[in-house]
Amino acid sequence: MKLTFTLNGTLTSADVPERTFLADLLRDTFGLTGTHVGCDTTQCGCCTLHVDGQAVKSCTMLAMQADGCTVTTIEGLGANGLHPVQQAFSQCHGLQCGFCTPGMVMASVDLLRRNPKPTPAQIAEGLSGNLCRCTGYVNIIRAVQQASQAMQGDAP
Amino acid sequence: MNNPTPHALLRKEDQRLITGTGQFSADAQAVGMLHGYVIRSPHAHARITRLDVSVVRSASGVRQVLTAQDVQAASFNNLPNMSQVKDPQGQPQIVCTMPVLAQEKVLYVGQPVAWVVADTALQAQDAAELAQIDYDTLDVAVTFEDATAPGAVQLHAQAPGNTSVKFEAGDRASVDAAFAKAHFVSDIAIDSQRLVGSPMEPRAVWAWHDDAKGVTHVHTPTQGVGGMAGFLAHITRWPHESMEVHTHDVGGSFGLRGTAYSEHILLMLSTRELKKPVRWVGSRSEVFVSDWHGRALRLHGHIALDAQGHILAMRFENQVDVGAYNVYFSTHIGARNLSITMGGAYQVPALHMSSHIFFTNTVPVSAYRGAGRPDIAYAIDRLIDHAANQHGLDGLAVRRKNFISPQAFPYTTANQTVYDSGQFEAVMDHAIGMSEPKGFAQRRVDALQRGCLLGRGLAYYLEASGSSGAAKDQVRGSFDAQAVLSLHALTGASGQGHETSFAQVVENEIGLPTSAVRYLSGEPEQGLVGNGTGGSRTLYGAGSAIKNLCQQLMIQAKPAIAALWTIGEADITHVKGEWHEAGGAKRRLRFADWITSLGAQAAQVHAVGEATSGMTFPNGCHIAEVEINITTGVAEVAHYWAVDDVGLVISPEQVLGQVQGGVVQGMGQAFGEHAIYDRETGQLMTGSYMDYPMPRADGLVRHFHHETHAVHTALNLLGSKGVGESGCSGSLPALANAVADALRQVGAPPIDMPFTPAKLWAAILAAPRKP
Repeated sequence: MKLTFTLNGTLTSADVPERTFLADLLRDTFGLTGTHVGCDTTQCGCCTLHVDGQAVKSCTMLAMQADGCTVTTIEGLGANGLHPVQQAFSQCHGLQCGFCTPGMVMASVDLLRRNPKPTPAQIAEGLSGNLCRCTGYVNIIRAVQQASQAMQGDAP
Repeated sequence: MNNPTPHALLRKEDQRLITGTGQFSADAQAVGMLHGYVIRSPHAHARITRLDVSVVRSASGVRQVLTAQDVQAASFNNLPNMSQVKDPQGQPQIVCTMPVLAQEKVLYVGQPVAWVVADTALQAQDAAELAQIDYDTLDVAVTFEDATAPGAVQLHAQAPGNTSVKFEAGDRASVDAAFAKAHFVSDIAIDSQRLVGSPMEPRAVWAWHDDAKGVTHVHTPTQGVGGMAGFLAHITRWPHESMEVHTHDVGGSFGLRGTAYSEHILLMLSTRELKKPVRWVGSRSEVFVSDWHGRALRLHGHIALDAQGHILAMRFENQVDVGAYNVYFSTHIGARNLSITMGGAYQVPALHMSSHIFFTNTVPVSAYRGAGRPDIAYAIDRLIDHAANQHGLDGLAVRRKNFISPQAFPYTTANQTVYDSGQFEAVMDHAIGMSEPKGFAQRRVDALQRGCLLGRGLAYYLEASGSSGAAKDQVRGSFDAQAVLSLHALTGASGQGHETSFAQVVENEIGLPTSAVRYLSGEPEQGLVGNGTGGSRTLYGAGSAIKNLCQQLMIQAKPAIAALWTIGEADITHVKGEWHEAGGAKRRLRFADWITSLGAQAAQVHAVGEATSGMTFPNGCHIAEVEINITTGVAEVAHYWAVDDVGLVISPEQVLGQVQGGVVQGMGQAFGEHAIYDRETGQLMTGSYMDYPMPRADGLVRHFHHETHAVHTALNLLGSKGVGESGCSGSLPALANAVADALRQVGAPPIDMPFTPAKLWAAILAAPRKP
């Protein structure tokens, strides 16, 4: 089946078997391997990306569902330099192995879009669909707070 | 969106990882790449009565199907078991190793039975479903009781009673004598339940064969390429020089990525025969039933004290579930790691331990973050806490009275382990001082007003960091024409930030900026010796070798400096990356300035550093306050304070990160994680993230406080003790002691981990007193 969608700012089309998931299309056909697949039950959030600006777990979204949509992956997020969320994850040591990080960053960007000044509890709740096995989340929550401040124009 | 001024990134690893340009094993694509799929056993215990894969072979896109026959034809070994012990009568342990593909029988759900290679992953999976496999199912045993009961179904013909060995360590007679004269005795059975390690990157491997050179390349997550290459060579019986292991980014390991699995071997066989690259990417559902499981220990601890509260003896009777086969480190965990620090930080004159190592119809067990050390640390401090409460003693006073004093080092334990250093009482006081002890009574009252029982738990852990498999650690350092130093060694990272901390060691030693240092570990290292990452030893293992390398660079360049200054070499000394002229003009020259002054000639400067580093003894005091909601049973960690003696700290942010991550992994075990098998069918009931409760961002510690308390160690050149596993070792007893303290308020007896809402709620309901 054919689909046409905007991928990281570029109008793109693909011809895929109907059972292809969006994450697999992006990884296998477009080589965008920043979208990671960490589970098969949509629990871990490693595959989180944006469809029409909203965070979506792409490992169980059919590629065909993205027909006509705008898809942004981690590779497209920082196209003009690092996004404040990416910077804050590094500066706050919000990543260790880095496997969950693209999904965490994409989920955090959407969280801050919906709630630009979240409390730590709101961040924790907002990221509860993204698993991390290394950091214990403490620094991830700090990173989102720092990014929130940076995006408000406050000194981090 | 505002674009704030870009700040420097914290770690050298971060740029690629935050931009999605890291290179994990499943990311690889190669021309003509084929895809493997494992047909796994759906049964926990069965005879294979028919295995017909002819339809699979003729399915669309299928290139190859392998069964046990093909593995046998290739003369492969089974997966290795790394240590074999004897029972007290001198009988060697019965070792039952795991075949690459099941032969005649399957012993656990998920065991690899056959292997399909096709043009696409979906074709391989579709074709696999066509396999005609008949199983004659057998009774299953997934618990100690079921496996060791008289008449229990037997997994291995050579292992009666499903017993691998009944191992003993220590001195039974002196422990018996101590218990006979004790004033107080206590005992408690402590479960360290079976866990699924769950690094976020599901296991993925690909291999390709270079026919012209006769070399098979294996791209895989590892903890170090050297160890993996050794395992692959052992299993395949192919010469070392006919294979090369490559590791790029590794999405977490925790002990699970250090060893070779069936899929590695099948990929190697396939790519050699098919002359094409072949990839296997595990789904999460698959790795739940195929990554080695962790823990699976039950420790029954006994303690004897005199009337003043001095510990006279400890005894542990352990049940060590290794799963269906002896793989890799399970014996090491059940025999060595449980006994080596058995008295913990305490002066215990008599120690004895028995470990009944047994088989069950479950996934084999190997190393998981700490590999037996968090378990024994947990059991020791639970036991002391339990005994103190049972006999009305002050738990802190008992600890103070029994700590090994700073003057007693080097201290030889009753099990003949030699500890080198520690200031246990000072570390405990440091932690207590941080933890606002005076406010606890009020916090408890406040919690009760919110409908919660607040408990406070303190624990002192001591663990032995990895003693190393390789004799020494080596690192090769070579400069390029831009004076950038490349370090090559065998230890590979899976989140620990080696690239950053090793560069910091170089900066500390010879003043090169970290931006001028690269660390490379993922390529085959001809001729270098060294250990992989494991047992919290990498920083001081490879780090000491790097320190030695830096010293060698300083010494090696002395003739050049002497020529530059036209003085004799004997007139030059060096301190911390700077050469000093002993007399005359008292000139000074920094290494960093000299190497850049060489221009392109810098590329001629290289050296190999090495160091031999044995085990160290990281230790610390962790204090937790846990709130249990009386109406729901939900527990929350209100406060967590930790003080760790990890020796010299190189990278404070990363040390804190390791402790936070380790503590939350401990919280995972304390409050939810549990690999539960159905007793009738042997099916894993918690086989996905929907039923295996991983710690999440919204269920964790509300306030986390950490400090280090460094006590010098001379056991390695660097002076560090290691930090990777201390968070697990400290958190299990601190959290469990806190939960026990909370439950004591209503008179409820202690319960076993995991402290799930259902268990806590039931315990409070059944308690003799109302809150």
